[in-house]
Amino acid sequence: MRQDLLKTVSACFASIVFAGASISSAFAGAANPDSLTTKYPIKHLVIIFGENESFDHYFGTYPVATNPAGEPSFTAAPGTPVPNNYQTNPNLLTANPNNQSANGAGATNPFRIDRAQAHTGSQNHSYGPEEEAFDNGKMDLFPKYTGAAGVYGTGTFNNTGLVMGYFDGNTVTALWNYAQNFAMSDTSFGTNFGPSSVGAVNVISGQTNGAEGFAAGSNVVNSGFSSLVADGVGGYTMYGDSDPHGDVCSSTTAATTTMTGKNIGDLLNAAGITWGWFQGGFDLTKTNSNGTTGCARSTTSATVGAYENDYVQHHQPFQYYASTRNERHLRPSSVAAIGSTDVANHQYDINDFNAALQAGNLPSVSFLKAPAIGDAHPGNSDPLDEQAFVVNEINLLQQSPEWQYTAVIIAYDDSDGWYDHVNNVLNPSTSTQDAYLGTQKCGPLGSTGYTNNVPPSNALVGVNGQPVNGRCGYGPRLPFLVISPYAQKNYIDHTVISQASVVRFIEDNWLNGQRILGSFDAVSGPIDNMFNFNQTPTRTLILDPNMGTVVSQTN
Amino acid sequence: MKNAERFTAMSTRVKGLRVSAFVLLALSAPLAAASPPQNDSGSPVQPLSPRPVQATGLSAVAQLGRKMFFDPSLSGSGKLSCASCHDPANAYAPANNLAVQLGGLDLQKSGVRAVPSLRYHEHTPNFTIGPNSSIPDFDPPPQDAAARPTDVKTASVAKADRNNAARAAAEAKVPQGGLDWDGRADTIQDQARGPLLDPNEMANKSQSEVIEHLRKSAYADDFRQLFGANIFDQPGLIIDEALFALVRFQTEDPSFHPYDSKYDAYLAGKAELNAAETRGLKLFEDPKKGNCSSCHIDKASRDGVFQPAFTDYQFESLGIPRNRDIAANQDPHYYDLGLCGPYRKDYAKSTSYCGLFKTPTLRNVATRKVFFHNGVFHSLDDVMHFYVEREIHAEKWYPKLANGDIDIYDDLPVKYKRNVDTVDAPFDRQKGDKPALNDAEIADIIVFLKTLNDGYKPDEASSAAQ
Repeated sequence: MRQDLLKTVSACFASIVFAGASISSAFAGAANPDSLTTKYPIKHLVIIFGENESFDHYFGTYPVATNPAGEPSFTAAPGTPVPNNYQTNPNLLTANPNNQSANGAGATNPFRIDRAQAHTGSQNHSYGPEEEAFDNGKMDLFPKYTGAAGVYGTGTFNNTGLVMGYFDGNTVTALWNYAQNFAMSDTSFGTNFGPSSVGAVNVISGQTNGAEGFAAGSNVVNSGFSSLVADGVGGYTMYGDSDPHGDVCSSTTAATTTMTGKNIGDLLNAAGITWGWFQGGFDLTKTNSNGTTGCARSTTSATVGAYENDYVQHHQPFQYYASTRNERHLRPSSVAAIGSTDVANHQYDINDFNAALQAGNLPSVSFLKAPAIGDAHPGNSDPLDEQAFVVNEINLLQQSPEWQYTAVIIAYDDSDGWYDHVNNVLNPSTSTQDAYLGTQKCGPLGSTGYTNNVPPSNALVGVNGQPVNGRCGYGPRLPFLVISPYAQKNYIDHTVISQASVVRFIEDNWLNGQRILGSFDAVSGPIDNMFNFNQTPTRTLILDPNMGTVVSQTN
Repeated sequence: MKNAERFTAMSTRVKGLRVSAFVLLALSAPLAAASPPQNDSGSPVQPLSPRPVQATGLSAVAQLGRKMFFDPSLSGSGKLSCASCHDPANAYAPANNLAVQLGGLDLQKSGVRAVPSLRYHEHTPNFTIGPNSSIPDFDPPPQDAAARPTDVKTASVAKADRNNAARAAAEAKVPQGGLDWDGRADTIQDQARGPLLDPNEMANKSQSEVIEHLRKSAYADDFRQLFGANIFDQPGLIIDEALFALVRFQTEDPSFHPYDSKYDAYLAGKAELNAAETRGLKLFEDPKKGNCSSCHIDKASRDGVFQPAFTDYQFESLGIPRNRDIAANQDPHYYDLGLCGPYRKDYAKSTSYCGLFKTPTLRNVATRKVFFHNGVFHSLDDVMHFYVEREIHAEKWYPKLANGDIDIYDDLPVKYKRNVDTVDAPFDRQKGDKPALNDAEIADIIVFLKTLNDGYKPDEASSAAQ
């Protein structure tokens, strides 16, 4: 408590200093994060939202790594808990249900992908094919439906069996070390099936209903596009990727989308709480060292070996909402204004996060999205470039005075289609895109009595308060870690959670448990069990960003 | 300006194969001199498979690939390895002067195309029509659409048109990337599959035969350790792992991309070009003279990450003379149409692509014994004279028809001769015109091309230049 008080005093001093800088409007209604009353002793939440990994793809053999010579090695601490993976189900490695003729030439047991093979092709992560791969709970048609013979990179297999590959602690070394020292869930799922945009919208609102589509280059709502599906009550649900309507970087040759519901940014704004979405490539005024600028800024890496566009529009969820978008990517009026409402409207570049952190202006809630080269998405990124981004950001946070009040969540937008052996479908849907239990049928195993295109009565309500279609879930199981001095140590939680649990935690900590209409926030489990708020918040773990190995640590 | 613009376009679409950091930084990779291997009786045999190059710091997978690369037991004959044609002592190209190499079960069969060097393929983009898109995050994953342009003379318009919009439209139809002369392999990994199964090369009858060779190899246990004890029971997987290992050797070992030519030293400010080399470079770049760098890119990317590849990875039809030394060409109805076949089938009906081949890198070109896809030329002097005199003195390069006319572009059926580039310098001349380059200028360009040979030793060169 004494430290809280000190921080409050210094923050007030900062406000006084900045008050004379003619940016006072930037602070309209925004509260200093450290002086806010919160349910938990967490004053800063940082969500590092990565791309496209299933749980078994990253943690299938945790905590046992192969440790070939020349690779960063990983040896588990005594007493390390084992999650629900191939270690606890060894038959999955030798008699996997996907090693069957229905998968054709792609039939295979799971196999290790070496660190030298970190750059793989991307799999199919569409809503319908993911449900088909789940095959009525048998989890046995991944090569057939989500497997993609890779042509990107040299680490690819020209065979749909690639979808069964997994990395171990010699490649995703940093994440395994974080799991050793902080908390991880082995029961975290995509809120729904589907790709990036679906996951991104879910992590900020917990719901994808209330979508409006626009034909390429048009400003007239016309929702009959391939990324939206009829919700059964006259509206549309987003189930696929499309660019946010109005973003200056969005496609002019493909349909775009807006969302009409509320997101967590709306709730934080109403409460005067600072927040921001920080994404690589968002600042259009910057020029990269290769001469690229504007929406075309690009970066390369040793592993990918090609230039990849930094900014990916359909990974920026707040741009879908009229209330939270920054269509022209306007810059914040100052570093001190980051997190508060101004022309930037809480939408920033990743560089702005680092600037704000170093200036002692870390917002209450920050979502981080790496430049595409570091976002983990197969094809344009890889686990090693992801590791460099994640470790650098977490190292920076741990070295800041804010760390003792900070929690970092590492979560993912979708599975990429990579195999994982667990299913947990709770919310039904009978849209034209559904296929889990049969044609146009998705829901808990054994469900019957569904009528095509009619939302089942037990489906979660959408933005108009009625049950809606197009949100079958939970989807694939995804990695989820909590890194904080308040996190449990070397702990694996089994509370069933989803991307919407992030929304729920923000609501619980800062907003007195307020909920969003139509959202999975109320039904997704809490992440509280991954914390121990009674411990002394001193733990740090500094890692090598390239190797993922431990540089130093305190308990 | 044209070169700069073209380069910008190229550098932003560079796509595909990764290269490890130490490879990018590596500037020297001395090759161990290959000594002839001994046969069972201890006497020297024909050096079909040179000894492995010495390499350190390779990953376990790359070391496995290295063993495979030099292993003749992977061929149907038991006598050919990758290194038999891709000789490390000759910039991973053939050491002999045969237009096409001998192989097959009896080592007497020959293919139809010259063997390219395996150097400097690490940034080759996947094959596409038009520029690559860089973010593959769409649903479902993007497929290569087999475009069927019919009446667009893509190859020549692309480079000649000074109007940017028209050129951009034409560029959108230009095939580019991929491995092999026709770009049919998307990645180096895919390329490695071809020679193993080609009846004229390593001549394995099937992938199963390759797997059997691997199972009996001295490094079979390496496979089990790296890829799992059951790897030999997973036929689809082991082939891909084996090909990956071959690629990993090529990717990690600096000898495949040493970037240690005199020109590299010149770009790094560590060497100066002499007068003839400087003149040669100027002519190489001059759009009205050699105009070479419009396709053979000679500048690094702006941030210095990608050194000049000396290719834009695009396809061109140059009307190369028919090579009657190639057995297949004894059939007058047989033509090697590159992108249109016979190896590739997917663009067989795209008439504007018939006769197009991929532009190769010019690094180490002065060490090559044969030139172009059919190896018809044996000296750079001939190549350069062909470039500047193809239109002016067609009779020097092509045979006469029965009626006395010159059978220009005689390695193409009449209907595809229109695909040949006649608009870009130095091809934009007609009979009676002066060639774009005179003999002295050609000599200067060849002197410059020799600065692209790997293995430049600053001390020796400076004393030799005195």
